[in-house]
Amino acid sequence: MANSPAGALDGIRVLDLTSEMGHYCGKLLADLGADVIKVELPGGDPARGMGPFFRDEVGRETSLSYWYFNANKRSVTCDIDQHDGQHLLRELAKTADVVLETFGPGHMEARGIGYEALRAAKPDLVYVSVTGFGLEGPHARWRATDIVGLAMSGVMTLAGDPADPPNQIYGNQGYIAASIAAAQGATLALFHKERGGQGQLVEVSMQEALAICQETAMQTWDFTKVARERRGDFIRMPGMGTYKTQDGYICAMVGVPGFGAPWSALRDWMAEEGKAEELTEPQYAEKLGTLDLRTLTAAIGNPEALTALRPIMDRAQEVIGRFFAGKSCAECYEEGQRRRLLIGIVASPKELVEDPQLIARDWFVTLQQRGEAVRYPGPPYRLSATPVAYRRPPPAVGEHNLEVWVQEVGIPPEDLPVYASEGAL
Amino acid sequence: MSGPLEGIRVADFSWFGTGPIAGRTLAAFGAEVVRVESEARVDGLRMTQPVPAGKEGYNVSGFFNNFNADKLSFLLNVRAPGGRAVALRLIERSDVFLTNFTPRAIAQWDLGYEALRAVNPRIIAAYAPMQGLSGPRRDFLGFGALLTPASGLSFLSGFPQRPPFGVGTNYPDYGINPGHMVVAIAAALRHRERTGEGQMIELAQIESVAATIGPALMDYAVNGRVQRRNGNRSTWMAPHGAFRCRDEPRRHPPGPNQEPERERWIVIAVGDDAEWQGLRRVAAGQPFTQDERFTTILGRRRDEDALEEGIGGWTVSEEAFPLVQRLQEAGVPSGVVHDAEDMLEHDEHLRERGYYVYLDHPETGRSAYDGPAVRLHGTAGELTRAAPLFGEHTWEVATRILGYSEDEVADLVASEVLG
Repeated sequence: MANSPAGALDGIRVLDLTSEMGHYCGKLLADLGADVIKVELPGGDPARGMGPFFRDEVGRETSLSYWYFNANKRSVTCDIDQHDGQHLLRELAKTADVVLETFGPGHMEARGIGYEALRAAKPDLVYVSVTGFGLEGPHARWRATDIVGLAMSGVMTLAGDPADPPNQIYGNQGYIAASIAAAQGATLALFHKERGGQGQLVEVSMQEALAICQETAMQTWDFTKVARERRGDFIRMPGMGTYKTQDGYICAMVGVPGFGAPWSALRDWMAEEGKAEELTEPQYAEKLGTLDLRTLTAAIGNPEALTALRPIMDRAQEVIGRFFAGKSCAECYEEGQRRRLLIGIVASPKELVEDPQLIARDWFVTLQQRGEAVRYPGPPYRLSATPVAYRRPPPAVGEHNLEVWVQEVGIPPEDLPVYASEGAL
Repeated sequence: MSGPLEGIRVADFSWFGTGPIAGRTLAAFGAEVVRVESEARVDGLRMTQPVPAGKEGYNVSGFFNNFNADKLSFLLNVRAPGGRAVALRLIERSDVFLTNFTPRAIAQWDLGYEALRAVNPRIIAAYAPMQGLSGPRRDFLGFGALLTPASGLSFLSGFPQRPPFGVGTNYPDYGINPGHMVVAIAAALRHRERTGEGQMIELAQIESVAATIGPALMDYAVNGRVQRRNGNRSTWMAPHGAFRCRDEPRRHPPGPNQEPERERWIVIAVGDDAEWQGLRRVAAGQPFTQDERFTTILGRRRDEDALEEGIGGWTVSEEAFPLVQRLQEAGVPSGVVHDAEDMLEHDEHLRERGYYVYLDHPETGRSAYDGPAVRLHGTAGELTRAAPLFGEHTWEVATRILGYSEDEVADLVASEVLG
């Protein structure tokens, strides 16, 4: 683990003062080789209380969520609400290239550790602020959790069945989007600084980071003054949509031009197995053969265009549904893709952990923790010359206090207990 | 101000969502992005909705245009005889190569990393295949519509009584995958700046998305537990979800299959006692605020159905926007479920921040584009030119960037390599 070649951000030091909204940004930078120091409250980051837990043992050192988002980071404690803690943070920031925080407008400034104060001592600092709505504007001080970001960005209104409330997307995707945007800003700003530029303030609004995920909704309104709404499993073209199988669900998008085999290849597969029923008859071949992505996207704006085809499409959909229902997910996926049909599996976490492709590519990484081999998901990308790697296990609360505060910042060792007794670390 | 990527050139051999959006971000931050296109394989998004009323052709899709602002469009048929040489000439003069085509297409073009490195050792060669460049499923086809299910997001999103039909869009194509790609490219550029060394980036889209649901994967890998979709609920907050408010009249005629009235929803997320007390103050007088069962977070989670019913019975006769204003003033995380009309026309916050950018385009007229996902205050990061017309810059790229003479360009056009 410690012997991995240097990462692309080798030599960069990041102070990570983030809540859940930004911890994935810290992870991305750490996995790329930056020295990311998590600055936690003396009692530990509240995110240490988030499940799931290792073997379901609840405790501040056993959160799998914390492990995943904080492996590769070091941990120091520091209470920035206290003057002594603020002093320590200012000293630490002098050694940093990047400060990453999610507190919201004015919070750091009020403590004398905002961007202007820190850059006075470290002029080329890259300071990354991640908040729900950005640092300025009428909603800048609004309280935002993940679901608030999904709602206010126009993304949530597109998800779900019309009979249900709009759906959130799993996995704190608002926080993820904000974190990825912050990592883009941080890496671009670092590149600029090291090419002879200055440090700078980088600002992320979760709402803005998500907004492009409205797909075509924004442009649809701009051009036609119609707002897209949630439609559930609305694609009802033959070979397109979510289908039940013997053991789960698949998703198919057969007939998207440029992507694999046309609808006739699905019909031929069904016919080979004697399950095409009347879909081999000419009227089906002719009418279904003309359905493609263009028809599909037109249908989003004008479902009536498909009305005349409706009986034939519904009948075809029924026959196709029966065909997939008689097979396993794996069979639909493997054989469908072998035939170049755009078919995918609705994978559960179990199927992903057991996925032959991910396993063949050694995506999962094993770390030794608590005397056991713990499997971690791998990185989002691979860089051939500067591997993205797990270099250290997730830190215990304040595990690196001594080495960071004393050896690296230069706090006299005899002062540490004084700071600690006052609760500053 | 110039962008952080001033002087960086990107050879953008991508299409649809993930690749083009990554390229557009690089363009917004100052890179010169040459979007390589071909009549032999037109980007499907050029042929899709939405388009302005009465318009058609390759140049008017809002879907395509939004993802390709600030780029140059260069028509090159890589597979025509002589086409690959032109591609390599562009790559030789670029800093970044970007593609999200399949491994099969890359093999057909013969534009794998070794070939690129041979002409340009400093190139950052970024590939974004669906399943990766290796492994038994490397040739499997897909895009966001299949990726959402294949990466676990569909299984884990939505209400448990519904099939796992996804999230209403090809979600990973727009944020996660292009965003990750830009991070990797910027980090690789930083490494090259220090060492002179180029490299290959491989972003397997399924890995890129699965990396965002790490805790759910570890819950199975470590604990053997398969998490299930649970609608709008949270693992630790309550109430947490969307609540219907009073419908509103539409300001424009309803679209096809749309109700005459407009549904209004808000979200509320209560994590701690202070937020719960804030909600109680705003909803003063409502029975749920006096219900003993809801005093503690454990109680609210235990009787969450009843809690949601109580809140929903209150919000349904309230107006969404004033209610959220009051909730926010009381310190309750909350928001209106915006639609695109709200985003473009009614959100004073986005307007004041200038998030959406309006750019003039010869065929669509002045139209809206998403701004960048992140703001760099010391360097520019902005869109200044609308999406290019199909092939708009073929001549310019061939002469100014590739250095061909007018006669050479004419020959390449005549032999159907260019244009």
